[in-house]
Amino acid sequence: MRILLVEDDVDLSRQLKNALADAGYAVDHAADGEEAHYLGDTEPYDVIVLDLGLPRIDGVSVLERWRRDGKTTPVLILTARGAWSDKVSGFDAGADDYLTKPFHTEELLARLRALLRRSAGIASATLSCGGLRLDPRAARASVNGEPLRLTSLEYRLLHYMMMHQGRVISRTELVEHLYDQDFDRDSNTIEVFIGRVRKKVGSDRIETVRGLGYRLTPLAGETEAA
Amino acid sequence: MNDTAPVRSGGFDWGRLFGRPGQSLTRRLIWLASTWILLALVIAALALTHAFQESALRRLGNMLNETIDEIVVAASRTPPGERVEQIQDARTLRLLSGKYWQILEVQPDGRLTPLARSTSLWNYDLNLPADLPQRLERVLGDVITFNTDGPKDEPKKPEPLRVAASMKTIPRHDRPIIFLAALDRSEVDADTRQFATLTWIALLVMGAGLVSAVFIQVRFGLRPLFDLRNEIAAVRKGRAARIVHDYPLEIQPLAEQVNRLLDHNQEVVDRQRTHVGNLAHALKTPISVMLAEAGTQEGALPELVRRQTKVMQGQVDHHLRRARAAARAAHGLGEKTPVPEVLDELAVMIEQVFRAKDVEIDWRAPDELAFLGERQDLQEILGNLIENAAKFSRRRVRVSAGASGLGQMVVVVEDDGPGLPADQRDEVIKRGSRLDESAPGSGLGLSIVDDLTRAYGGRLTLSDSDMGGLKAVLELPAAET
Repeated sequence: MRILLVEDDVDLSRQLKNALADAGYAVDHAADGEEAHYLGDTEPYDVIVLDLGLPRIDGVSVLERWRRDGKTTPVLILTARGAWSDKVSGFDAGADDYLTKPFHTEELLARLRALLRRSAGIASATLSCGGLRLDPRAARASVNGEPLRLTSLEYRLLHYMMMHQGRVISRTELVEHLYDQDFDRDSNTIEVFIGRVRKKVGSDRIETVRGLGYRLTPLAGETEAA
Repeated sequence: MNDTAPVRSGGFDWGRLFGRPGQSLTRRLIWLASTWILLALVIAALALTHAFQESALRRLGNMLNETIDEIVVAASRTPPGERVEQIQDARTLRLLSGKYWQILEVQPDGRLTPLARSTSLWNYDLNLPADLPQRLERVLGDVITFNTDGPKDEPKKPEPLRVAASMKTIPRHDRPIIFLAALDRSEVDADTRQFATLTWIALLVMGAGLVSAVFIQVRFGLRPLFDLRNEIAAVRKGRAARIVHDYPLEIQPLAEQVNRLLDHNQEVVDRQRTHVGNLAHALKTPISVMLAEAGTQEGALPELVRRQTKVMQGQVDHHLRRARAAARAAHGLGEKTPVPEVLDELAVMIEQVFRAKDVEIDWRAPDELAFLGERQDLQEILGNLIENAAKFSRRRVRVSAGASGLGQMVVVVEDDGPGLPADQRDEVIKRGSRLDESAPGSGLGLSIVDDLTRAYGGRLTLSDSDMGGLKAVLELPAAET
């Protein structure tokens, strides 16, 4: 497994490099934002550990650039700033996980293992409906290339509708597939989730068929992408 | 002079008379206006009374002049040595009638010898000031008027008289003659008194009216000031962030300056917070390094380093929290944070972090629900609570938020984990103790949530969820929609 470690503190870098190497990773190290961006852009890493406080270009900007360039490599953010507002902006920039300093090395290794497990099998067959795409293995969805941020319930709803696109799906059917247990099964729930998903994918994509249910269709003029 | 009395250096203290600047502006304005009004009215009353009296006395003087003319004629017609005839005036013929005349001759030695007097005067002499002959001599031929007492008619009080006197030389008399005419002036005095009384009453009523008008005007005129005061009080009590109302031209700049001061304070607080934050955050990397390095070695020194870096870490966390709390006191007032937005971003993020466990966060909140406070704080409160729930859950976390009326909202966060025994719930909130060292992340989560919630006047309570795990109920201020 190749890993890119981006950290500007000399001692911390040395420690982490040793720990990661001991855990069996092939470690590349970048000490500033520019170098990190270049390496991340050109080398096929399996996972990246990114410190946010970096010289030249800060970590969040580096991450945003990678994501803009279509890099999907899982990124774990390493930050001294533990406030939730900082975490949220890290995730908005495209992070997959975060770890607040000071941390235990074992904790970092455990998180990395989880990230790698998660991302295994990227580039599997994707579902699409017009500009809407969904990758079931990575549990990711996007609209016209823009990644969607969905909660797991929203994702599950969208997944089911994409597998049955073009067909009218009743509320009862949706409820049954949304929750795998007898749990909060009232039909208002579906309206709530349809509302939220519509807000994220564009409201015209999900059509309400009065008295019957909902139907997912490509937008008028959108051609089925290859 | 008592020499222990404090010596004031700067002359008269006007501030003391009109209410000190620190005391009441209303009183100061009313005092000033009232003083002016009363002073003007007193002067007016005195002037009016005086003018009235003058004109009454002038009328009296005209009558006296006529009498003098008559007795001058009578005296001129009478040869020296003979008795001057009475003039034809009924009042001068009736005894002590209040109208008198008298003719005196000035002797070379300065004595005055009576030549004649009116019948009404009987055998009395008019009371004259001692320097009268000298004064008359200086204005020879002209008339001098003065007041004096009339002839005594015991037991009655002597009547007040108005006297006109003139010194003339008349044909066939070598020596100058003084002609005197006198009239009772008690009527004039009574009229003047009555007029004065009426004037004073009228002006007093007017004064009272004016002072009340001033009072009303001042209260009304100063009302924007009271409004401003109330608004500033609201800012201080944390019910408002800034002065938002419009004020009259004169105090709008004051309101603006107050706003600028508030902004400036905010800036200073923000800067301090940033400094403290930067320092604390900058320390975290070295602490990390030392902890990791010391953790890999045995011996007395690594042990010491481990212990001391733990202390440092505790200090850093403590001061970061203090800085956040201090900033909060001045921040986030009147700000509205949409709850669904924050729940959505947190749910997506925390599910992603706990994807290894496939945690499912089912959140519900009305679209229009808004928290009355800073976004950062709501993120911190809900982020910690939901992360905590996700950490201890088996798979499910349920979050439901809703308005509970009266500017309040309730957020319930539940999970299907093992829950927390009742006797440990207080401990986990109060001391922020780390109950489960093995669960990843900061164990301080719940106490931060509690601190923040309290800072907003809210409440955090823990109980059992019907899902099996812990149920955290948050009460927070909601924005009116």
